[in-house]
Parts: sequence; C-alpha cells; structure tokens
Amino acid sequence: MTAVARSWGRLTLAGKILFTVIPILLLLTAGLVLVVVLFGKPVVDFLAANLWLVRFLVAATAVLLMSVPTAFLIIYMEMKVIALMNLRIGPDRVGPFGSLLSVVHGLKVLMKEDFSPTGSDRLVFTLAPVVVYMSAVMSLLVLPFAPGLFGADINIGLLYLFAVGGLTVVGLLMAGWSSFNKYSLLGGLRSAAQVVSYEIPLTLSVVGLLILTGTMSLNQISLNQAGWFTNWYVFQQPLGALIFFIAATAEGNRTPFDLTEADSEIVAGFATEYSGMRFGFFFFAEYVNVFIISGLFVALFLGGWNAPIAWPEAWAIHLTFDPGSTGMGLLFALLLIPPILILALAAPFYVGRSSLPWWQALIIGFVLFNVLAIVVVGGWAFISLDWVAGLLWFLGKTYVFVFTFVWMRGTLPRVRIDQLMGFAWKWLLPASLLNLFVTALAVIVMNPR
Amino acid sequence: MANVPGLGVAKGMALTLRRFFEPKATIRYPEVRLDVPHKFRGRLQLLYDEYGTLKCETCFQCAQACPIECIDMGGIDTKGRYHIHWGAPETYGERRDESALRRSGRPVPDQAYAHFDPIHPEKLEAILERFDFDPKMMLEILDATQAEYGHLPVAALKLISQRTGAWYAMIYGTASYYRHLRFEPPAAEPLAAATATARAGREAAFLAGLDASLAGPARGGRGGRRAPPASRA
Repeated sequence: MTAVARSWGRLTLAGKILFTVIPILLLLTAGLVLVVVLFGKPVVDFLAANLWLVRFLVAATAVLLMSVPTAFLIIYMEMKVIALMNLRIGPDRVGPFGSLLSVVHGLKVLMKEDFSPTGSDRLVFTLAPVVVYMSAVMSLLVLPFAPGLFGADINIGLLYLFAVGGLTVVGLLMAGWSSFNKYSLLGGLRSAAQVVSYEIPLTLSVVGLLILTGTMSLNQISLNQAGWFTNWYVFQQPLGALIFFIAATAEGNRTPFDLTEADSEIVAGFATEYSGMRFGFFFFAEYVNVFIISGLFVALFLGGWNAPIAWPEAWAIHLTFDPGSTGMGLLFALLLIPPILILALAAPFYVGRSSLPWWQALIIGFVLFNVLAIVVVGGWAFISLDWVAGLLWFLGKTYVFVFTFVWMRGTLPRVRIDQLMGFAWKWLLPASLLNLFVTALAVIVMNPR
Repeated sequence: MANVPGLGVAKGMALTLRRFFEPKATIRYPEVRLDVPHKFRGRLQLLYDEYGTLKCETCFQCAQACPIECIDMGGIDTKGRYHIHWGAPETYGERRDESALRRSGRPVPDQAYAHFDPIHPEKLEAILERFDFDPKMMLEILDATQAEYGHLPVAALKLISQRTGAWYAMIYGTASYYRHLRFEPPAAEPLAAATATARAGREAAFLAGLDASLAGPARGGRGGRRAPPASRA
C-alpha cells in the first residue's frame, strides 16, 4: 500500500469528492479563461451581429431546463392530489410534504438498467423517446409565458404547435415498431389512431378562433385578449373551447382517454419494452404535454398572461424606482439591510419574552425578514415589471388547468377504444365543424364588406 | 334531468372535490400507532436463539406470571412420554412456595389476600390439611370452605389455588358450575327464601313447557317410547 493510497483511504466521502472535483473545476476555469482571452473578441462580435442565435440558444436551454422541473412538479401534484381525493395522504416522506418524491423517481429511473430487447431495432428504439420528448420541448418554445417572455414569436405559432405536437405520433409509432413485440406494435398503432383521430377536432376547434383573431401567433392572440376578462375568447368560442379541451385531453393521453398507456394495465402499450431513462423520457414527456395543453388552452381561450381585471389607468400604481440607478448604494443596501432588519425584527421577541434564547429570537427574525423580503420584492416586481405579473397570471391559470387534468384523472373511468373513436368522429368532428360554420357566419353577418 | 349529457361527469367531479377536502383515513404507522385493545397481549411464541436452539428453558415463569393462567406447557420426556405439564402434580404447590416465588423474583402474595375481602386463612388451611391439598378433592374442599365462611370469598379461592396448585380459573369454573356454591354472602333470609321459591317455580314451569314441547299432545305422557320415524326403510 503506497502512501498515496493510504492518504486517499483516510479521506471521508465528502473529502474524496471535493479532492477530485476542485482540481477539475480549477482546470476548467483556467481553460475557459484561456479560451475567452484567445477567441473572445471574434466570438462576441459574431454573437452581437446575430442576436437571434443567442436568443434561440438561450430559449432552447431555458425550455429544456424548465421542462424537467415542470414534469417533477406535475408528477408530484398528481400523486398528492389523487391521494387526497382517495382519502389518503400520499407522499410524505421525502422532503417537505413529500415534495421531493418525484425527484427521487427521476433518480430511480436514471439508475435502472437501460434494457433493449433482442431483435429490436436499436437505433429507432433509442430515438423514439427522444422524438417524443423533443416534440414536447419544441412545443414549449412558442408558448407565450408573459409579455416578452417566449422562445419565439412565430407568425404561424399555432400551426407550428400542431405540427410539432403531431411528431408525437411518429415517436409512438417508432417505439411500437422497434420494440420487436407485437403488443408494443399494437399499442403504438392504437395510440397513433387515437392521436390522429383527435388531432382533427383539435385543429378544427381552433379554426373558429383563428377567424376571429386573424393571426396564428400565440403572442398576438394573447395580446388580443387584453383588458377585462370578457375579452377572453372562451366567451366568444365556448363550444370551441370545450371541444379543444376534450380533444387536448385525448392528445395528451390523459384520463379518460389514456388507453395508449393505461397504467392500471399490465401491458403498457407502446412502452411495454421500455425501461430506465428511455421510459423516463416517455413519462416526462407525458407530463410536459399536460403543461403544454394547459398553457395552450390558457393562451388561446383564457387570456394568456392577461389579468382578468383591467385596472383603470387612474388607479394604476406607478413605481419609478429603478434599482440600477442607485449604483454602489444598491450593493451596500444588499449587504446591510438583511442583518439590520433581521436584528430589528428579532429584537421585540427577545425583549418581550425573557424565556426566549437569543438564537431562537434570531431564527424568528430571519423567518420574518424572509417573508417581508419576499412580499416587498415580489410586490415591487409584480407592480413594476410587466413580465413578472404576466408570468404569475399565466402560470396560475395554467396550473389551475393542470389541477383539472389531475382531478379528472382522479375521477373519471377510462373509455373503451370504440367509445373513444366514436366520440371523436361522431360527436367532436361535427361539433367542431358546426362551431366553425357558425363562427364564420357570424363574422360575415357582423362585418359585411 | 337524468339524461343531461355530462351530468354524471359533473357529479363525479364534485364528489372527488369534496373528498379532496375531507379528513384523511391514513394512519402514519411508525409515528402514529392505533391503540390496541386493553387486554391485548400479543401472540404467544417460542423464540429461538442465534444457534437455532429453543430459548425456552421450561422455567414456567411465564405460566406462573400469566394473570389468567392461560399459558400452559406440555412436552415429552426422553422416553417419549407426554407428561411434562407444569411439572409433576405434587410439585404444583411447591412451585408456588414462598421461597420458589422469591427465587423466581416474583412478589410473594399476601397469604390473607387482603387485596380482596380478607379472610382468616387458618380455618381454610385446616380444611386443606384435612384434604391433603389434593386438587382432585376440589368439590369437597369448596363445600367445606363454603360451610366455614358462608360463601366462597375470592381470597379463599386464591389460597386454595396457591396451596393445591390447581389453576384459579379451574377452581372458579368448578365453583360456578355448582348451583349451591356462591361467591357472595347469602342475602337476608326472607328475601333468599322468596328467591328460592320463585326460582323453584320458574324451574317447574320451564320443565313442564319442555315436556309439553318434547312429547306433543298426540303422543301423551313424558318418557314414553317414541314411535320410530315412518320414513326409515
């Protein structure tokens, strides 16, 4: 045993990790500095000349980064809400109220064996979950989260959404085909049939809306609904909204139309042969899709980021405070205000209750300061930053719909495949056509040329 | 009204939403434990040590400690005879000897059982001496005890159990089986007489009714030989 091995063995686990990670980080930093010094100028010049590239890269990264926590959040919500509806408590072990359980699920999925069956088409088998997840993430790119906060304001945004969302079918068929398993293939065909059937009423239900708005840009559609909540298109297109909601439920493979991958059944449709992270991608894509269809419904019919009430201009609060203008003062304030406020908030408790130890008083002061800071900073951001308020409204409305999807899953039984198809073709399609014709007629009558 | 499309869905959604806010049925087991019934003592089980040997040393302490004497042990000796049972009957009393109890670390009971209505144990000791502490003479012992004390005090039963080695539960069972043995002092004389008369009358009526229902009106007479069933070939 050499001296090196002996000293290595004496390190604790944390020490081993730090001992390896810190040199790597130092080397990387040095390399990065070197790269910036050598090639910095031309790269920055190129990026400044092509801002759209920066914007695209940032948006794609942001969307990829937000998709996984969103899926985690919705998975946790699903477990917890359905448990509460079943008079159970649901996850309560990992993290506060079990909120980290879905993260643990993600880690578990990562650690499982990534198995591919004998005779499967390995390339397609591997690509299928990627395609499904990619279609979900690409759909997120055009969702308008807030004024100015979207990946891309494409003038055919809605068309893009349906086109990219249709990629899901390709992924499902690829998964079913490449598994080398007739049950997977049947499951893939079944889900493709379902998604394709519901694509038609889904698209047709929005055409009425398009006649009203005259644009396919989701950003523009959201802008059109500004003002009071009576401007929301759900009041002009109630039938369209209903059809869209039902068809979107089927598109997202949610209960009661979740027979593509019904998780109470043993054979999991197209995903039968999938395990490990490849299955995890299907799983996450499903929940990202829930977020997307909720967000899409909100953007199309429920005013997007707009608040339901239009404040009269006279009531509006205008804060002209710009933190950047204070210069160095801002830094000093950031340094000084927290400790001073914590002490100031802790003092009354320490003075008022002689039995309270000083450190408990400090904890109380710290908690109070955090609450105060969140309220003040959040309130300031909500009032003076347009996109913060918009984002909050959008996410609030979206998660109400996510809750509704989970709620439906906790309530409704699954439909049979013939009921599913019959409903799409016999009811939703005629209803969406009716909606389209009535809307067109109304537009012609109201605006005669 | 019943045929409105979507009404069933709305009803179901309303139901789950109500359930959402109701108190939950889950019990978080390791932290929260349900109360077990008052008399629950768990399941009797013989434990084995890490070498696979039975841990029980047949010390009978568990059987002695059992408040309702439901623990018993039996087994075979080296000759294959099934006779180990609380030890030999003649050692029953010995096992409950004061010194034996002290050796096994259990409290030595107060001989007068002052915990219950106390008795003078000397008279009972004399009776037991007369019957040679023989549990097989239990009925006679109980008769003599009742003649001495007027009834069967709990303390007397405990002492009998202690001296003869018979289980308290068995003595209690024996005593409660015979109608003339009683556990309380007899009531005042006139009341007791009236009770006895009333009981005799009730018994007579019950027997008469039983006779009537057994014999039936057509057959007449109790104790007559029944006619054989007609269907028997």
